[in-house]
Amino acid sequence: MAVKFKELFSVFRNGIWKENPIMVLVIGMCPTLAVTNSAENGLAMGLATAFVLISSEIVISTIKNFIPANVRIPSFILIIATFVTFTDYFVKAFFPTIAASLSIFIPLIVVNCLILGRQEAFASKNPVHKSIADAVGMSIGFTWVLTLLGIIREFFGMGSVFGLQILGEWYNPMVIMLLPGGAFLTLGLMVGIYNHINREVE
Amino acid sequence: MEKNSNLNLILVLTTIGIVSALLLTFVFEWTSPYIAANEAEKRRNAINEVLPGLERVEEVEIDGEIFYEAYDNQGMQIGVAAQHSGAGYNGMIDVMVGVDLDSQEVINISIVGHEETPGLGARITENEYKSNYQNKPFGDYTGVGTPTSDPMEVQTIAGATISSEAVIRIVENAVEKINTVYGGR
Repeated sequence: MAVKFKELFSVFRNGIWKENPIMVLVIGMCPTLAVTNSAENGLAMGLATAFVLISSEIVISTIKNFIPANVRIPSFILIIATFVTFTDYFVKAFFPTIAASLSIFIPLIVVNCLILGRQEAFASKNPVHKSIADAVGMSIGFTWVLTLLGIIREFFGMGSVFGLQILGEWYNPMVIMLLPGGAFLTLGLMVGIYNHINREVE
Repeated sequence: MEKNSNLNLILVLTTIGIVSALLLTFVFEWTSPYIAANEAEKRRNAINEVLPGLERVEEVEIDGEIFYEAYDNQGMQIGVAAQHSGAGYNGMIDVMVGVDLDSQEVINISIVGHEETPGLGARITENEYKSNYQNKPFGDYTGVGTPTSDPMEVQTIAGATISSEAVIRIVENAVEKINTVYGGR
């Protein structure tokens, strides 16, 4: 039992750092670059994606034996689309302000390659408990990078973090940080620092 | 039955499709009243903002367009509001415009929805920009980068000329829309 738990934990830990979906696998770039102009948006996008990823990995790893290989991709997409549509309605109904700022990017979760990629690479080959560990790890990995990216861009672009004004009137905001260019700059530097830390550790 | 036989492929996909559709039907039934309520509340807030002091709002449909007639507690008409949309920098901008028909002036505007760049175009929602339109006479407006000197001028936001100009055009069109319907009365 102890060995099994250790194995589960290493699957879980994989997504957070060693195989981080954004830093290492570099998948799911569309929401990463597009919606992280504020910390709140980054966190909300991460959580919405996490919900879809976890629930679809659970469902797909449960019914994987019934899905014929020839139609596995359309089956995965149908299941993912169901959860995405659910998330879209749910956010619109109960968090209208978040829905307004994320607008089109919630329905677009369905084509986030992180989600389909994990189904194909992990959930369709592994039992449910391992898939849950993988999904939770990947979700946390995705969410922390998105949130950090949002925090950095919001801090330099507006002088605030999570809507809380930190820098005073004297600060002249770097608007570029809120534009798509700022996302590329910040992500590039973050991946660079990430690789540097990994090398130092080795 | 063989796993990859055509019949099995069709059966599996159809089953998943039906289950998904059923689930989403319930989700839709559950959430749509909340979504409708959110929309209605957003619109009500926008009308309250553009026609301050209103007691009662009447929704009227004239020539396929919806207008909101606002009355105060004595039953006197304060003004008329209408929502109008137009293309902004990133997507559509929806603006609620409230006008005073007696003095032929815009009372205020409210941005109901937009997808402009945060920190730049999104500043159209700030009072500093919206106050441009308070007590503006009906007509055509010009956007200027400096503080305004003429009543028909609107001060644009630095770095967000396209968004600012887009709102100017939308407000002009909304005023015209209201004026064509109510102008002759």
